[in-house]
Amino acid sequence: DAADDSSSVKPRNKQRVLMLTSRGVTYRHRHLLKDFASMMPHGRVDAKYDQKKKLGELNELALSKAPNGPTCKFLVSNIHTMEELAFSGNCLKGSRPILSFDKSFDTEPHLQVIKQLFLQIMGVPPLQKRSKPFIDHVLSFSVADGRIFLRVYQVQETEPTKKDGAEGEEASEESKKKKSKHADKAKEFDISLLEIGPRCVLQPIIIQEGSFGGALLYENKHFVSPNQVRADLRRKGAAKSNSRAE
Amino acid sequence: EDLVPRTRININNTTGLLASLKRFAIPTDGSTTFASHQSLASKEPTADVIGEDLMDDIKRELAFYAQALDAAKRGRALLKAEGVPFSRPTDYFAEMVKDDGHMEKVKAKLIEEASAKKASA
Repeated sequence: DAADDSSSVKPRNKQRVLMLTSRGVTYRHRHLLKDFASMMPHGRVDAKYDQKKKLGELNELALSKAPNGPTCKFLVSNIHTMEELAFSGNCLKGSRPILSFDKSFDTEPHLQVIKQLFLQIMGVPPLQKRSKPFIDHVLSFSVADGRIFLRVYQVQETEPTKKDGAEGEEASEESKKKKSKHADKAKEFDISLLEIGPRCVLQPIIIQEGSFGGALLYENKHFVSPNQVRADLRRKGAAKSNSRAE
Repeated sequence: EDLVPRTRININNTTGLLASLKRFAIPTDGSTTFASHQSLASKEPTADVIGEDLMDDIKRELAFYAQALDAAKRGRALLKAEGVPFSRPTDYFAEMVKDDGHMEKVKAKLIEEASAKKASA
């Protein structure tokens, strides 16, 4: 539902993002965009794209790199905006996130492209105006079942408690790490995460070579458009009532 | 019931994808500082951690959490090594993503849930 657009000159991490929605999006889509916008100081939200036919349909998210592409279109499902989710996490507006990618992103070419798109569009470039100098949240992208799950967590640093083993695995992992690392780790704080939201699931549909156009580089054969699903359902119902009428 | 099975032609132009990737990718390997991109790949595919049942909410979310936590820890170590400030000082106040009103609501909801739990126990 949102069309993101960014431009850069050199392969250097310095870009800006234009965010806009297509017509006819619901409040949920709008709020999701707002949530993302609040975390992206390098972004600029524009009025909705006022043309009905071109550029992604409802429920689709297009990530595109301007001016030369590529573009990837996703079907967005399971949208939960920050407002709906009562997560207690919070972070500085405009701090730079750590981007956590699933290892699977490095396996296949189309996932590699998607990873770079996320990296360049969702990541906040260094020394960005309006960005804050501290790091307090993680954007996590995971692949499962051909879909990409997006989660946002706050990084919480707490003073290390006395190790009583109650924390189980996590604590032992941390202590192991501590021993292996330098001695100054002693004053290091423990890290825990708190989810901030929003959440959504993205299913890649196509990847095009250009920015909102160009040759198809990848098409997800497992993707079934929601229109198709609805049409099938309706047709099934129609067939049933037809047979009853006869 | 004459549903036409939709078969899609599997387009997966790997050479094209890789060429395109090469054109626009920002280097994330050792050639640049970690601070310039701040991205990390997990050690193992998260799907393996989740296992078969994707609908198992707790397991799935735990896997995501573990992935993000690992990234946060490694990220902090890398950033500290590069001399980039990481933690926010306690006396540093600035606008947050969620404003006070929003947090107030969240708090109210949490309290409500907790008291409901207490009442039912």
